Amino acid sequence: MMMKGGNKVLARSLMTQTLEAVKRKQFKKFHAASSEEQATIERNPYTIFHQALKNCEPVIGLAPILKGGRFYQVPVPLSDRRRRFLAMKWMITECREKKHRRTLMPEKLSQELLQAFHNQGPVVKRKHDMHKMAEANRALAHYRWW
Amino acid sequence: MAASCVSCGAVVSQRLLLRPRVSLAPRQVLWRAAELQSVPGPQILRLKHVTVVTTKKNVKALRRETYTVDFIKKQIEEFNIGKRHLANMMGEDPETFTQEDIDRAIAYLFPSGLFEKRARPVMKHPEQIFPKQKATQWGEDGRPFHYLFYTGKQSYYSLMHDTYGKILDIEKHKNQLQAKGLFSEKDKTTDLIGSRWLIKEELEEMLVEKLSDQDYAQFVRLMERLLQGGAAGEFVQSFRRSVTVQSEKQPIEPVQHDAQGMAFSTSEGRRKSAKAEAVVYEHGNGRIKINGIDYLLYFPVLQDREQLMFPFHFLDRLGKHDVTCTVSGGGRSAQAGAIRLAMARALCSFVTEEEVEWMRQVNSFAHIWNDVSRSSTAMHSNLPHKSSFRLDCSRLIRASANGRSRARREPAGSLPGRSAEYCQERRGRVHLRVANTHQ
Repeated sequence: MMMKGGNKVLARSLMTQTLEAVKRKQFKKFHAASSEEQATIERNPYTIFHQALKNCEPVIGLAPILKGGRFYQVPVPLSDRRRRFLAMKWMITECREKKHRRTLMPEKLSQELLQAFHNQGPVVKRKHDMHKMAEANRALAHYRWW
Repeated sequence: MAASCVSCGAVVSQRLLLRPRVSLAPRQVLWRAAELQSVPGPQILRLKHVTVVTTKKNVKALRRETYTVDFIKKQIEEFNIGKRHLANMMGEDPETFTQEDIDRAIAYLFPSGLFEKRARPVMKHPEQIFPKQKATQWGEDGRPFHYLFYTGKQSYYSLMHDTYGKILDIEKHKNQLQAKGLFSEKDKTTDLIGSRWLIKEELEEMLVEKLSDQDYAQFVRLMERLLQGGAAGEFVQSFRRSVTVQSEKQPIEPVQHDAQGMAFSTSEGRRKSAKAEAVVYEHGNGRIKINGIDYLLYFPVLQDREQLMFPFHFLDRLGKHDVTCTVSGGGRSAQAGAIRLAMARALCSFVTEEEVEWMRQVNSFAHIWNDVSRSSTAMHSNLPHKSSFRLDCSRLIRASANGRSRARREPAGSLPGRSAEYCQERRGRVHLRVANTHQ
């Protein structure tokens, strides 16, 4: 999803720069913190990445179902891969759209990843919004037939 | 329907009708009006009674041809005599004239250009030509021989009955042993591996009866139950067929020695349109030379170097071999993949059998046929396609048991919410393919 026009080299370099930025930020925090807090600070960028994406995965999704000429948003369970896909998609769209023109992608993405790692930030908020919508449309759940 | 009139000479009756109006009788009767009499008034019409016989289809001929046992015997005798004549004609020994020889002789004597192979002249043993039929099931008094004749499927039901009898016998035997205390948990004989149950068609052929799917399912369930009780040996074996094991063993390259006495092995690999040939030396420092250029300069991209690294990384032999290879064709990724395949194959000769098996399970030897661009067409068709693959480091650790490609699992538009664009996005991705469907 990061790749555009088949430029895998660029996509890969952006990812490595992101992970590097995450690592640098964490190390800076680490050195500035006291010894008790140092134990809690996670420095491995890969674990931060995986945990952040896991925190962004929605549990339940919405599907538009046509019934009686109207489209209803019906809560629907999502498969594993769909959840992972949505987490990644939300992360990347958020970073692309809501960043300043001058900030580079690795910078913004590392920021978002760290926020998601701590269960904060816009991506996790979007996940919560999705859950709230699903909860609100609970009554329509029986429109699902699969 | 052509109606032919046959006037029965003997029966010609005349009927007098008072009314001038003609009314059609229910039976087809031809009216032959007498000449109109000149006198006006009620006319007397004389009827010649004729019977009309319609030629109906010969109903007897429509029934299936029943071949009597004598007829089949005669056919077999004729076939054998004919076989000897044919051998004589071809100048071969009649004693050792096999079916293949017969086929060849017939193809030579009666060359046919027909496309349908089954329409060509054939000379086979009558048992293969005439469908198997049951002999008459009842005696002269009309009483059927088999006690289950009136079930309609006597062989099938008698088979099920016998099988169930066997199950009960086994259970009784087991109870007796347990009562005596002699019962021991014997291992189930593992003669089930490499064989399969008869398929429905084979069972039908065996019983010479038509079965339904439910009948067949019931049969299989009963057989499984029999097996659970204990090995029933011959009886069960008669209902199993062996499955030819697809052993796609990786051919191991022979180790050669060059002028200085260094052991090496060569092999080839192809990916998309790239062809590579790798020479892996047994002892070395981990240097790789491609077309005379160091791999760091030939593949500036990390991804390609990772591809080269995989076979060694998987076998923990990262710095232990030297490689010289030549590659041509294809693009950057294709060349890297081709060299990787070649190296994996060459490494087999320096590695144990078990490790070769592991490599095979992780798809190190998959021979790539199509390139990624064709996967989009393959996604919309049901033909099995061997698409290209790329393994990540993490996937190396995972066994590729469920490595079916996404395209085959999830055709476009099958799941709600999945649009064509979603599947288009997948097109760029590479799919994992199981090289050998070995269980």
